[in-house]
Order: sequence, then structure tokens, then C-alpha cells
Amino acid sequence: MFATSTQKNHWIFSDEETLIRIREATNKAYVDQFRPPEVEDVGDFFLSATEERTLLHFYEYQLKEFCVKFQPTMNKAVIGTAFSYFKRFFLYNSVMDYHPKEILVTCVYLACKIEEFNVTIAQFVANVKGDREKAQEIILNNELLLMSAVKFHLTVHNPYRPVEGFLIDLKTRHPVLEAENLRPFIDEFLDKVLMTDVPLIYAPSQIALASVLEAARKCREHLDVYVTSILITDEEMLQSVVDAIRTIRLMVRVKNYDPPSRDVIKVLEKKLEKCRNQENNSDSTIYKTRMLEELMEEDERTQRDYETTLAEQRSHFAKLIMESRQ
Amino acid sequence: MGFIQLRLDSVTMDDNLACPRCKTTKYRNPSLKLLVNTCGHALCDNCYLFWRVSGLWDPTPSLRLPSPTLEDPAVEKEVDIRRRVLRDYSKQEADFPSLREYNDYLEQVETIIFNLANNIDIIETNKLIEQYKKENKEQITKSRTRKPTQILLLEAIIEEENRRSELRHMESLHSAKEEKIRKQKNHEALIDDLMFLESDAKAIVESHKATQAHQQVEASEIKPLPSQLGISSLSSSAPQPAYQQATTFTSGIGFGGSASFLPLPKGLGEVPLFVYKAFLLEIGGPPPPSLEQLKYPSSGKEGHLQHIRPATEAEIAGGYHHAIACRRALQDAFMDIAMQPKLLKSRSIQNESESESTTKEEVEMDTS
Repeated sequence: MFATSTQKNHWIFSDEETLIRIREATNKAYVDQFRPPEVEDVGDFFLSATEERTLLHFYEYQLKEFCVKFQPTMNKAVIGTAFSYFKRFFLYNSVMDYHPKEILVTCVYLACKIEEFNVTIAQFVANVKGDREKAQEIILNNELLLMSAVKFHLTVHNPYRPVEGFLIDLKTRHPVLEAENLRPFIDEFLDKVLMTDVPLIYAPSQIALASVLEAARKCREHLDVYVTSILITDEEMLQSVVDAIRTIRLMVRVKNYDPPSRDVIKVLEKKLEKCRNQENNSDSTIYKTRMLEELMEEDERTQRDYETTLAEQRSHFAKLIMESRQ
Repeated sequence: MGFIQLRLDSVTMDDNLACPRCKTTKYRNPSLKLLVNTCGHALCDNCYLFWRVSGLWDPTPSLRLPSPTLEDPAVEKEVDIRRRVLRDYSKQEADFPSLREYNDYLEQVETIIFNLANNIDIIETNKLIEQYKKENKEQITKSRTRKPTQILLLEAIIEEENRRSELRHMESLHSAKEEKIRKQKNHEALIDDLMFLESDAKAIVESHKATQAHQQVEASEIKPLPSQLGISSLSSSAPQPAYQQATTFTSGIGFGGSASFLPLPKGLGEVPLFVYKAFLLEIGGPPPPSLEQLKYPSSGKEGHLQHIRPATEAEIAGGYHHAIACRRALQDAFMDIAMQPKLLKSRSIQNESESESTTKEEVEMDTS
């Protein structure tokens, strides 16, 4: 249930300003940590929080595309959960620290597991373009990192079930309206919601109700009677519901849904390549040696132990021989 | 040419000693026996058996290291010879008039052994031995039956020990008897006193107890502990005297009584009692209908359930009812619909996971 969930306790923020503040703090923390002494103009070298947002926005489109094209077709809850992980991850982690294109696939992979959409890793990477073996390695390496970044709060409450609840309730208590006609508009609205910060601010039930109301508006139906006299009878409660719905609709409406232009992204990507944390760059030599070290550590240790024992034994025998000759 | 067992006494402490063939070490197999052949190659006894069966000559010709041993075959040979020679040259110091002559004799023996071991004048030396044998035939046969002085000494010690333990046993028997008599006497005296004295019976019993305790203390003080009589290392095997019998368990608790046994002090592990608090779910919205209301709507006609896929027979048999799914959807729809994000406790900019408990697990409650 949402009321007792970690989502409500840890991942619902009061407003967009709070989110912006957190993102700026994350950006600043990265810059402070990795600023090379010779760099004077920080803004020139590092990505700003806004530039990070633009990049993330671009990758959210990639995420959506990846999920839609995914074979076998995944249900919506997986997409919603993957988006939630992605948003949560980059709230407290900088784009420069972890490249979004790697976190993106990991989010989808983890969401598949959590939403009980069973695909094997081989099946999964078949959907990835490019080097599949490397993709597999990246996903499996990043999975734990992602889980700890979302503080192991893996259950995500998506607005899809609440929507079903409202549709059932509408059919029962407000049969004047043909509820099934609303579905395409609801889906459209919820798809837009994924691109915004709404899931980090409002409860899934509120998002669901907003989507239902928006869909009704598009169908030129009136649901005000349902909301004000059937669904909610408490005056005070009604006010906060109306406020929430209004803000959600506003947030969704003002959002620019055009993906950022390729040229802008290209520039930003170029900048990112320079300032990103090379330790987490799967193409960098630092990353490769680190991974290799971790892998080899065990073997090496055994080997080293064996060699020292052997050397000790030899010197010991030599000593014994010397003694016996004297 | 066979293998001689290495005498490992001086090297048994060394766990790194290893068989070069099977790499077993003394550490892994404490009963490992290393054997060495005349070309100086070591083998453990297991490998030796295997080598015997396989019929190879030199088990480890590739081993370039010299023999990893303390005792080379020359020493073994010398030991063997020494044993043989000393069987005949068995005179004791007491057999000589002076120390000087005894030392000369010892030197002669050592020369013989050295010659035999190093192949010097073997014939001459053997002749010398033969001659000695003839000359001292009587003495040799006598000394073969005679026990060496060290053994005699040991026997004397053992005898002394036996004598002592016998003495101790007698002593303890005696003291036990005495104790019994004393107790009987005390008992009789108590009854006499009770019978004839005018004072309070309780007081008499008390005073008797006191004198008894006093006597016991005296008795244990006066008599030296038998174990103190003998040499302490020998006394451990001696039988314990009766009055020294254990009165406590090894845990330190006395036999029979629980006087010295203390229960756990109160208040040590006291925690506030558990108080059950019914879980109250805050819906934060209009209350969703209960399962009962869904199944049997008050209006009489079909309610919410007609808009949801009915459960199949198999699903109902498995404990599922479509009212459960319906209620869950409705509950999810109504829950926190009036939530005001601004009124939730504000999030600090810092990643609060550092301070806040992340162990708080999400409780997924069943909708029923």
C-alpha cells in the first residue's frame, strides 16, 4: 500500500523547487570532488545542473523508446518502475559520475525483475543495440549499484492500478459515462507524466485521478459531479484533492515534450566525455583495470600465498642441509 | 638398497616437512613418516609402498636438492654400529679401579666405532673386538643379564612410590574411621545433653553444632594433607583421603543444597511490556468499500464486482476471489488522494539515507 510505503516516506518531495535544489547540490558535490586544480572556469569544464537535466531528458526519451520497442512486450508497470528508478538514481547521483545510458538499461532490467516480468539477461540484451556482451557486463555490474542508490526501496507504486480502480468505480457509481472511452486519453496523459517530475511529488492515486479527469475533459465529458458529490464528500479533503489535480495537470501541460535537438545533445555529450568520472567509465582504462583487479584479486592472492610458502620451504631445507653438514 | 626411516624426533615440530613426491606435509598428515634412501632422496612411507610396487629405482631423480634430512645415511650407519659394539663393550664405571681407566676404556670404544663407521682398518678392528670378547666373555654374559644402572634407579623410584601410596591409603582409612567415631561420640553427647540439661533444646543443638564445626576445623588443620607428604608430582595418582572428598560440583555449587546458588538478579533484563496496538491504516481519502460490502452490496443489485473479471473455479479453490482484486484497485485509487506533498515532512537537500534508517522495510499489506 502506498500509505505505508517507502515511496511515500522517502521519495515524495514537497515541490519542484526542492527537486531543483537537490539536483544542484548533487551537481555541486561532484564538481567540488573532481575539480582539477588547473581548471579555472568550472562552468566551462563541468556540466551545470540544467545541462544535466537536458541530458537526462534526452535519455528519458531513449528509455521510453527502449521500453516500447522491447521484445517481448512489457507491461506498463515495468516502464513506470524503470522511470522511477531512473529519476531516483539521478536525483542523488550526477550524470557526470554515472553515464545515463548505462544506468538506463540497468533500470529497465531491475524493473523487469521487480515487476515480475520474467526475462533472462540473454533475452534482455538481445534488445540492446551494439556490443551485447559488454552491455550484459555493464548491466550486471551496475545492478547492485543502482539498488543501493535507490536505497533498496524497490517497490514502486505506479498510477496504473489506481486508474483501474477509478474506472471500476466510475462504471459502478457514475454509469452515465462510458468509462472505457477514456482509456486512450488516460494512457496518453500517463505517458506524459513519466517525462515529468510529477511521480516524485504526487501520490499515484492523485496522478491517476488527474489522468481520468484530463481524459474526460478531452472527451468533452463532465466528471465534476462524480468527484465532488460521489467520490469525495468531505469539504476539506476535496480542496486538497482539487489543488493536487490542478498542479499535476499544470505540470504536465507546461512541460516541453519535444526531445532536445541532436545538436545540443552532441555538444553536451562531448563536454560530458571530458568531465565524467573515469573510474565509472566502462570504456576507460581505469575502469577496466579496476574491474580486472577485482576479478584477479582472488586468484592472485592464492598464487602469492603458494609462492611464499614454497620459498619458505626451500630456505628451510637449505638451512637444514647446512646444519647437517656442519 | 632400501630406505631407512628418518628419525623425526628432532624435526617433528616442523610442519613444513614435506614429501617431495606427493607433497604431503607434516602439518596435513601428522602421522607422516619420511624415509630416505642411500642416494639421499626422501619419500613418505605411503609413497615408499607405491614405489616398491611400481619397481622404479630412484623415485625422484629430477630432484636437484640434496637430501632434505637431518641424518644422512652415514649417521644411520654409525648408530647401527654403535648399538652393536656397545652390546659387547658394556662395562660400567664401577668395573674400573679409577676414573682415568674408565675414560681410557670409553675412548677405545669410540675409536672402534669410528673405525667401523668410516671403513678404517676394519679387519684390525674386528680382530680387536673378537679379542676383547674372548677376554671378557664372562663379564659380557653377566652384563647382558644385568640390568643397567639407570633401570635399577628407576625401579627403586617406582618401589618408593608404591610404598608411599600404600602409606597414604592406610592413613586415609584411619582418619575416616576416626572421623566416624568422633561423629558418633558427638551425637551421643548431644542426646545426653538434651536428656539431662535443663536449658532450651534449641540452644543445646546450636552449641553442639558450633563445637562440631570447631572440631572439624581443628582436625583439618592438625593433619597435614597426605599430598603434602609425598613429592607433589607423584601425589596426583594417590587415592584421595575420605575427608577430602569433593563437596561441590565443578560449577562451584554445593551438593544437596542451593545455598550458594543465586538466581539472576531481578531487574537485569527488564524491558517494557509489549502492548498490542491495532494497526490503523490512514487512507488519506474516501474509505474504500470492504470485502463484505463488495460481495454483498447494500443496494441489492450487483455493485463494483460486475466490472471485473470473475474468478475462475480453480482460483476460488485456491483462496482467491475477484472481490480481493477489486478492493485492491479501489483502495489504491482512494489512498492518499488528498495527500499534500508540502505537508509531508520536508526533505533535506542532503541525501537523508545517511542518517535516516534505511532498514525500514516497506510493508506490503494484503488488501484483505
